[in-house]
Amino acid sequence: MKWLKSAMQQGIWPWLCAGCVALSLLMLGALLALLLTRGLGHFWPSALDEVTLQNGDVVAGEAVRDLPLPNRAGSERLYFTGNRDVDDARWRWVPVDTIKQQTRPAELLRLKRRTWGDFIGYLEAVEVGGERFSGHDAWEQVQQALPLPAPQRARFQLILRTPQGDTLRQPLSTVLRIEAPNAMHVGQKLKAWGSDVWQFLSQGPRAANTDGGVWPAIFGTMLMVILMSVIVTPFGVLAAIYLNEIAHQGPLTRLVRIGVRNLAGVPSIVYGVFGLGVFVYGIGGSLDAWFFDDALPSPTFGTGGLLWASLTLALLTLPVVIVATEEGLARIPDAQREGAVALGATRFEMLKRIVLPMATPAMLTGVILAVARAAGEVAPLMLVGVARLAPQMPLDGEFPYLHLERKFMHLGYHLFDTAFHGEDVQAAIPLVYATALLLVLIVLVLNLTAILLRHHLRRQRGSEC
Amino acid sequence: MTRARLFPQPLRHLQDRIATGIITAGGIGVLLAILGIGVFLVWEAAPLLLHSGTDSLAMLSPLAWGTLKAALMALLFALPLALGAAAYTAFFMSARLRSRIKPTLEMMEAIPGVVIGFIAGMLLAPWVERHLASTLMVIVWLPLSAGLAGLVWHLASRRWQRRLPLSWAALWLIPWLMAMFILALWLTPLVEQTFWDGDLRQYLHVAFGLDYVTRNALIVGLAMGFAVIPSVYSLAEDALNEVPRPLMEGAQALGASRWQAVVKVALAAAGPGLFSAVMIGAGRAVGETMIVLMASSNAALLSASPFEGMRTMAAAIAIELPEATAGGTTYRMLVLAALLLFLFTFLVNTLAELVRQRLRRRYQHLGNTS
Amino acid sequence: MLASRHVDQATQAPVTHFPADQCCLEIDQFSLAYAGKPALQRLTLQVPRHRVTAFIGPSGCGKSTFLRAINRLHDLNESVSHSGEISLEGHNIHAPEMNVTELRRRVGMVFQTPNPFPMSIYENVAFGLRLQKRLAKRQRDDIIEWALTSAALWDEVKDRLHRSAWQLSGGQQQRLVIARTLAVQPDVLLLDEPASALDPISTLKIEELIRNLKSQLTLVLVTHNMQQAARVSDYTAFLQQGELVEYGPTDHVFTNPRLQRTENYITGRMA
Repeated sequence: MKWLKSAMQQGIWPWLCAGCVALSLLMLGALLALLLTRGLGHFWPSALDEVTLQNGDVVAGEAVRDLPLPNRAGSERLYFTGNRDVDDARWRWVPVDTIKQQTRPAELLRLKRRTWGDFIGYLEAVEVGGERFSGHDAWEQVQQALPLPAPQRARFQLILRTPQGDTLRQPLSTVLRIEAPNAMHVGQKLKAWGSDVWQFLSQGPRAANTDGGVWPAIFGTMLMVILMSVIVTPFGVLAAIYLNEIAHQGPLTRLVRIGVRNLAGVPSIVYGVFGLGVFVYGIGGSLDAWFFDDALPSPTFGTGGLLWASLTLALLTLPVVIVATEEGLARIPDAQREGAVALGATRFEMLKRIVLPMATPAMLTGVILAVARAAGEVAPLMLVGVARLAPQMPLDGEFPYLHLERKFMHLGYHLFDTAFHGEDVQAAIPLVYATALLLVLIVLVLNLTAILLRHHLRRQRGSEC
Repeated sequence: MTRARLFPQPLRHLQDRIATGIITAGGIGVLLAILGIGVFLVWEAAPLLLHSGTDSLAMLSPLAWGTLKAALMALLFALPLALGAAAYTAFFMSARLRSRIKPTLEMMEAIPGVVIGFIAGMLLAPWVERHLASTLMVIVWLPLSAGLAGLVWHLASRRWQRRLPLSWAALWLIPWLMAMFILALWLTPLVEQTFWDGDLRQYLHVAFGLDYVTRNALIVGLAMGFAVIPSVYSLAEDALNEVPRPLMEGAQALGASRWQAVVKVALAAAGPGLFSAVMIGAGRAVGETMIVLMASSNAALLSASPFEGMRTMAAAIAIELPEATAGGTTYRMLVLAALLLFLFTFLVNTLAELVRQRLRRRYQHLGNTS
Repeated sequence: MLASRHVDQATQAPVTHFPADQCCLEIDQFSLAYAGKPALQRLTLQVPRHRVTAFIGPSGCGKSTFLRAINRLHDLNESVSHSGEISLEGHNIHAPEMNVTELRRRVGMVFQTPNPFPMSIYENVAFGLRLQKRLAKRQRDDIIEWALTSAALWDEVKDRLHRSAWQLSGGQQQRLVIARTLAVQPDVLLLDEPASALDPISTLKIEELIRNLKSQLTLVLVTHNMQQAARVSDYTAFLQQGELVEYGPTDHVFTNPRLQRTENYITGRMA
C-alpha cells in the first residue's frame, strides 16, 4: 500500500498531462503517416487479381479494401475493375466467401487511357496498317510503339480482351501507358511509381478529376501566392517601419499595434467577404463600367479573379508580415542606429544602410509565413476567384500574358471540390490524398524554412552580445 | 570644395524628407486599409439592421447556434488536451525534449484546415459512424489509461522508474497509448453487448430518440479541436513558462508536491495568461470555415445533439455568398454574419492581448521585488 | 603643454578659460531634461582644442547625457527638452541653420559597447565616407588605411579587410569603431566609457590610442574609472547630479581638489 500512498501524494495528474502531449503527438503523427501512405501509395503499381466466383463470374482488378458485411459473418472486398466503357462501372464489391479461385496472371495489363479511365485486361493482338501481331510479338510491338510521337502511333490498333472475354479495339494514340504490374519487379515498379508521381505533379486533371495530375492547381497556387507576396511585402514592410521607426511611440501607436496583431486572428472568411464586396463588386464593378462596358453584362473584373484573390490574401497576410518585420526591427540594438546617426547619416540613410539590411531575415521570415498561410487558405478564395476547372491558365502566350481577371485553380480548393463535389469520389479519393499530402508538404516546408531562418537570426544576434 | 557643391547636403535632406513622407503615407495607408474592413462590414450590414433589426437577428440565430455548438464541441475536446499538454511541457518535461516537442506541436497549426476537414469528412466520419461505440470508448479510455500508466509507474521498481522518467513520459507514453487504443477497440464489442444491446446507435435512438448523422458535431469537435490545440497550447505554455520560478520553489519549500505547486501557485499566477490562450482558441474555433464545411452536414438546425450536424456562420458565408446578389437581403445578412464574426474575434483577441500584457507587467513587478 | 599648466599662482585656482583660438567647445548655461526630469543643470565650461577632457562622476550624474547632447543624439527622442547653448568652434549647434548631419560628422562619437555594423571591416570604415561624397576607390582605400592606422588596427586587420567586423575581438571592435569615426575626419571625438566593456590589455591599447589622437583632434572622454581619467586626460570635469562640481587640469583636480565633495569621490569615500 506504500506505492498507493506515494502515487496519491505525487498524484496521477502529471501523467494525465503527459498523456495529453503524447496523444497530441500521436494524432499529428497519425495524420502525417496517413497522408504519406495514402498519398504516395496510390502511385505504386499494385498487383492485379483475377478471381473466379462461385456463380462463374470473373472479376479482375485491384483489391482496394475489405469491409465486414453488415448483420452477418464474413466480409466483402472492393475491386477496382476499370473498363467503364465495357461494363459501365469501375468498382465491384465481391463477397469474400463466394470467391472460388484467385490468381495473379502475369499477362494481366493495366492501360492508362485518355478517355474512359483505366482498362484492365489482356492484350490479344496488335494491328499495324493491316498487319496483325499476336502473343509475344504484340507486346514487343507495343513496347516499341509507345515512345513514338503521336502521328506515328496512330497506325497502331490494340485488340484487347476483357477478363470476361469481350474484345475491343483501342487506338494506341489514346493510350498513355501500359503496364503489367504482376510481371514487374521492384525496380520497374519504382520507376513506374516515379513516373506516376511526376505525372501527378506535371499534368492537368483528366476524367473529371479522377485521374491525371494537379499541375494547373499547383501553378495557380504559385502564381497567386507570388502576386500576393509582391503586394504584401512592400506594404507590410512600410507599415512596420512606420510603426517602429517613425511613429511617435505613444498610446495610440501601442493601440494600433495591438489592433494589427489581432487582425491575424480574424477569420479568413471575413477577409473573403471584404474582398468580394470591395474588390470584386466595388472596384471590379466600376472597372467594368468604365473600361469593359462592351462585354457587359458578362463581367470582366466584376467577378472573382486572380487579382482580387491575390489582393484579398495580401490583406489577410498583412498582419503576419507587419508583426514579423516589427519583431525584427525591435531586435536591432539602438546602438546600431546611433552609430550610423553619429557618423552623420540621415534617418533615411540609417534605415536604408543599417536597419533594413539587418531586418531582412525577419522580413523574409514574415513573407514566408505569409506565403505558407496563403497557400493553405481556401475559404476566402471561394468568394473571390477560385475555379474548379479553369479552362485557361492565367499566364499564357497571349497578350498581355498575365491575365489578372481570369479565374484560377488552387490546390486547396481542388482538394475540397474533388472530394466533395466530384462525380466519382471513390475513384478520386487517392488523388485527393496525394493533393492533400502535397499541400501539407508545401506548407510545412515553408514553415520550417521560416523557423530555421528565425533561429539562425536569433543565434546571429546572440553571438553579437 | 567642388565635390561638396556637386553633392550638396540639401539633396540628402530632401531625400530623407521624401522617404520619411512615403513611409509615413504608406504606413498610415496600410493601417487605414485594415481599418477599412470594419468600416465596410458595418456600412454594408447597416441597412439591414436599420430596416429589420430584430428580424435579421432572428434569421441568423440557427447559424449563431451552429457556430456556438461547433466552437463548444471543439473547445471541449481541445482545451483539456492543450492545457494539460502545456502544464506538462512547462513544469515536468525535460528541457531537451521541450525544445523539440514545442516547435513540433506548434507546427500542427500550419496544417491547412482544408486537409483536416477532408480527413475528418472522408475518413473519420464514416469510421466513427461504423464504430461509434469504439470511438466513445477510446475517448473515455485513453485519458484513463494515461492515469493508469502513472499508477503502474509508482508500482514499478526504482530501476524502471529511472529508465522511464516522468520528464520523458510524453515520448514513452506513445506506445502505451497505442496499445491502449487497440485494447479499447478489442474490448468494445464486449462492452457494447453488455450495456447497449450490441448496437449503440440503435440504443441511442430507442432510449433517447437521438438520430445519428454521418457528419455531425462530434466529428467537427474532434477535427476543429485538433486545429485549435496548437494555438491554445503554445500560448498557455508561454504563460506557464513565464511564471517566476521562485514562486513555485517557495510553494514547494512549504511542503507542497510539485503538482500541488503547479495547481495552487502556477495556475493561479498564470490564470490570466491561460484565459487569454483559451480566448484565442475560441476565436479560432468560431471563425474556422473549411473544417466545418467539410466535416458537418451543413444543415441549419437548432439541435443540441452531438450526433447531428450544424451550419456555422462562416460555412454559411462560404456556401451562400457566391450565389447571393450584391445588395440583396441574403447578401446583407451574410455580411452581417461576417461583421459579427469580425467583432467577436477582434474583441476577444484584444481582450486576450490586454490581459497578457498586464500579466507580463505583473511578472516583471514580481521579478523586481523578489 | 600650453594651457594645461597655466595655473594662477596667486589663488592656486586653475585656469579653465581659454582664448577663442584654443577653445573648441563652449558650453554656456546648458540644461537638459528627460520628460520634465532635469538631467543636466546649467552646465558652463569650455573644452580646449587638441586636449583630452575627461568627465567623471557617479552613475546617473549626466556624463553620458552631456556627451550625447553635443552630438544632438537627443533629437531622436521627443521627450527631451533643453535650454542654454553649446557652441562648436563658435557656432551654436542648436541654431536653425546648423546642419545636423554635418555637425555629427564633425563630432564623432564612440559608445560604451562596440557597435560595428554587420558588414565587413572595410565597409564599416567606408560607411561614413560613402555618405559624404563620392570618392575614387583609390582615394577611399587610402583614407581607410589611414583611419585604421590611426586607430592602431591596420596591422591586425589588413589581411582580412573583407571579413565580417563581428568576428573581431571586443577591443578590436572598439578600435574599429574609432577608425570608422576618424575616417570622416571629425574635429571632436566623443568617447562614452570606451573601455568599460573591455579587458585590461584592450583598455591599455585604447588609452594609448586616445593619447596619440590628441595631436589630430579634440577628445572628450566620459569614464567612471578614475585611474583612467588620471592616466589619459589633460583636463577633468567632475559632475554630480547633473551639475558641474569642479573643472580643471587633471593633476590639479586629482591631487588638490578645491571641494570636499570632489575629494570624497576621488578617494572613494562616497557611496
